[in-house]
Amino acid sequence: MENQAAKELLYKMADDALIIGHRNSEWTGIGPMLEEDISFSSMAQDKIGHSWALFKILNKLGENEPDIVAFTRNAEQFHNCQMVEFPIGEYNFSLVRHFFFDLAEYHRYEMLEDSSLGDLAQLARKIKGEIKYHVLHAKTWMKNLGNSTEEAVSRLQGSLNELYPMALGMFEPSPFEDQIVSDGIFGGESELMSKWRSSVMEIIDQTQLELNIDGDWNPLYGGRSGVHTEHLQPLLDEMSEVVRTDPAAEW
Amino acid sequence: MYGGGNVFEPMKVKELIDEDPVLLKEFEARIDRGEKIEPTDWMPELYRKQLIRMIEQHAHSEIIGALPEGTWITRAPGFKRKMALMAKVQDEVGHAQLLYSAAETLGKPREKMIDDLINGKSKYSNIFNYPAFTWADSCFISWLVDAGAIVNQLANAKGSYGPYVRALDRICKEESFHLKYGHDCVATLAAGSKQQREWMQDAINRWWAPMMMFFGPSDKISVHSEVLIKWKVKMASNDAMREQYLDMYVPKILELGFTIPDPNLRRNEEEGKWEITEPDWDEFKRVINGDGPCNKERLAVRRVAEERGRWVREAINRKSENYIVPLA
Amino acid sequence: MESLDPRVNRMKIGGFDGELHKEAMDQLGTYEVFLIPKDGKPLESVGPVHASDAEMAFVFAKEAFSRRFECVAMAVCPTASIFPSPVSEADISAYDLVTIPAETEGENRQYEVFHMNKRGKFHKHVGSVEAIGDIDALYKGKDEYGVDKPKNVWVVPTGDFHFNAEEDSDLWATLPEKKYRDAIFYKAGEKIQRYKESVNS
Repeated sequence: MENQAAKELLYKMADDALIIGHRNSEWTGIGPMLEEDISFSSMAQDKIGHSWALFKILNKLGENEPDIVAFTRNAEQFHNCQMVEFPIGEYNFSLVRHFFFDLAEYHRYEMLEDSSLGDLAQLARKIKGEIKYHVLHAKTWMKNLGNSTEEAVSRLQGSLNELYPMALGMFEPSPFEDQIVSDGIFGGESELMSKWRSSVMEIIDQTQLELNIDGDWNPLYGGRSGVHTEHLQPLLDEMSEVVRTDPAAEW
Repeated sequence: MYGGGNVFEPMKVKELIDEDPVLLKEFEARIDRGEKIEPTDWMPELYRKQLIRMIEQHAHSEIIGALPEGTWITRAPGFKRKMALMAKVQDEVGHAQLLYSAAETLGKPREKMIDDLINGKSKYSNIFNYPAFTWADSCFISWLVDAGAIVNQLANAKGSYGPYVRALDRICKEESFHLKYGHDCVATLAAGSKQQREWMQDAINRWWAPMMMFFGPSDKISVHSEVLIKWKVKMASNDAMREQYLDMYVPKILELGFTIPDPNLRRNEEEGKWEITEPDWDEFKRVINGDGPCNKERLAVRRVAEERGRWVREAINRKSENYIVPLA
Repeated sequence: MESLDPRVNRMKIGGFDGELHKEAMDQLGTYEVFLIPKDGKPLESVGPVHASDAEMAFVFAKEAFSRRFECVAMAVCPTASIFPSPVSEADISAYDLVTIPAETEGENRQYEVFHMNKRGKFHKHVGSVEAIGDIDALYKGKDEYGVDKPKNVWVVPTGDFHFNAEEDSDLWATLPEKKYRDAIFYKAGEKIQRYKESVNS
C-alpha cells in the first residue's frame, strides 16, 4: 500500500515534468528574443531531467524502464494535470503557465526535502538550485512584464484568468492523500496549494495584474486519474513517433 | 555552425587608397606580429565592413541552423536524446547570441542585423535550406554538418579580431559536444537494425551534395582575397577546408559501413588530395539567392518568431536604458 | 503549406510566401557578464547580454554563459558603467596610455579593476580601489596593480554590479551532473565496435 501511494505521487510529478518540459522545448529556436530562448530551453531540459530522475525512482520501485514508461503509454495512462498538456500558445500563455507551475514545484520539492521516501528527498535537495532558478526566472518576468506596456499587461491578465483554474488542477487531491501525509512521504496537496497561493499573490501584488484567488473558480481536475484534453494524445504520438517505429531498438 | 563560402563585400580598390597610410601600416604591422585587433583600435573601413558581414552571416547561420535540427526536437527518441537535442539546438541559439554580440562591437546593432536577415538582405549558410526528413537527417546534421562547421571555426578562431576570436573560443568548446553527440547518434543507428541503417544511409545520400558545397566554391585568387588573408579575416581557403573535412570524416563514415554517394570520390595519393565530383555550383547559387527547398520556410519561421516576440521585447524596453555597443 | 516540423505547423504561418519584412526595433540595453568558474579563481568577463534591467540581465546571463562547465558566482553590470582604458600591446602597459588628468572633485567610492593581459583574451578581476571618478580609478589602479602591465583596463563602480547572494551559489550545484551536454558523456567507440563485430560474425 505504501508503495502505491508513493507511486501515485511519483507518477504525477514525473508526468507533469515530462509534459511541461516537452511543451516548453517547443520554444527552442523560436523564442521571443535570443537570451530568453536560451533560458527557457534550459528550464525545459531541467524538467525533462527531473522527469527522468523520477521515473528512475519508479523503476527502483518495480515499474518499467523510464524510456518505456515515458514513451509508450497512451494518454489515459498519464497522470499529469491537464494544464501542462495545452499547446504553447502565445508567449504570455507559456510564461504564466511556467509561473504557476514552477511556484508549485518550488514548494512541492521544498516539502519533499525531508520525505520518508529517501530517494525522493535526495532528489528534492539536489535540484533545489535548479528550481530556484526557474522561480527566479518566472518572478523576474512577471514583475517586469506585469508593470510594462498596456499590451503586455493585458496579455498577461488574460492568461492569468485562463490559466488559474487549470493551475488549481495541479492540486487535485489524491486518493492516497491521508496515507501519504501520515506516512511522512509528502505534506499533501492542500498544504501545498495554500503555500502556492501566497507565493503567487506576493508577486501579483507587485504588478498591475489582478487575481481574485478567493473567487468562484472551477478547478480543472481529471488529469491525475487519466482524464485528459484532446491535446495530450497527439502530443504523445508526436513525442514517440521515432521510438514507436522500434521500441526495442537503441536510439 | 557555419561553413565558409562567405559572401564578402565587393571591394573597391579606392576604399583602401583613401585610408591613412600611416595608420594602415601600423594596423597591418600589428596583425603581422600576431596581435589581435580590439574594438577601439583604428581599423580600415573595409576590414570593419568585411568582418561585420562575415560574423553576421555566421550568426544568421546559427539562428537559422537551429531550425532544421529543431524539426526533430519534439520527436527525439528517449530521455537521453531528447535532452541532448534540446541542448544542441539551444547551443546554436547561444552561438548566435555570442556572434551577434561580437559583430555589434563593430558598430552594427543586433536588431539591424536581424532586420537584414529577415528582409532578405543578408545571407546565411546554404546548407540550412535543405529539409530534415527523418531522425537520421538530424543525426547527420549534428555530426557531419557540425564537423564541417568546426573545420571552419577552428580556422577562424586564429583570426585577427579579438571579440570574434573570444566568441569562437567558447563556441568551439561547445561544438565538441555536438560532434561527439552526433557521432554517437550515427554510430547507434549503424549498429542498429536494418531499418535504422537504411534511414542513416538515406540521410547521407541526401546531405552529401549540400555538404560538399558547404565550404563554397574554389576561391578565386584576387586582390580582394589577398587582402582578406593578409588581414586574417579569411583564414583558410574553401578548398583547403573541404580537403581537411574529407581527410577527417570520409574514413569515419566508411568505418560504419555506409557508402558515400559520389562514384568519383577517391584520394589521389600522388597529388595528396581528394578527387570529388564537382558540386553543382549553379544549384549553390540558386539556393543562395533564395531558391532552395526550404529558404522560404526558414525565413518565414524566423520572421513569425520575431513578430510573435515583438510585444515582449517592446514591453521590456526601458527607454531610459540607452543602447550601448557592447565592449568586448 | 506543410512543414516537416510539427512545431512550425502549429505556428500557423499560413504559407511561406509572404512578404519578407520586419520593422526595425529599438535596441535593448546591454550588460556585461562576469563569472567565477571555481572558488579561488578571479571574476572574469565572459560577454554581453541584451536586457531590460540588471535583474533580467542576471537571469539571462546565467543560462547564456554558465549552462555548462563551471561556475560558482556571477555578476552583471550595465556596459555603460565600465570605463575602459586605451588598449596597448607588447611591453607597454595600458595604464601608461592614460594621459588625461584625473578628476579633482567627487565623492570617494569603490571601483572594481579588471585587466586584459593579452589582446584577444578576457578581462579578469585584479582587485578594487577607492577613487573619486573613473579616471582617478585608473590612476589608483595603476598604483595598486600597474606592475602587471595589462593591455587593457576596465574600472567599474562596485555599486553598479548586480550579483547573486552567497547562499544562491546552489544555482550552479547540478552543473557537474549535466553530462548530457558534455562531450565526454558520448562514447561512440563501443557502438562502432558492435557494428564491426556484427559484420564479422
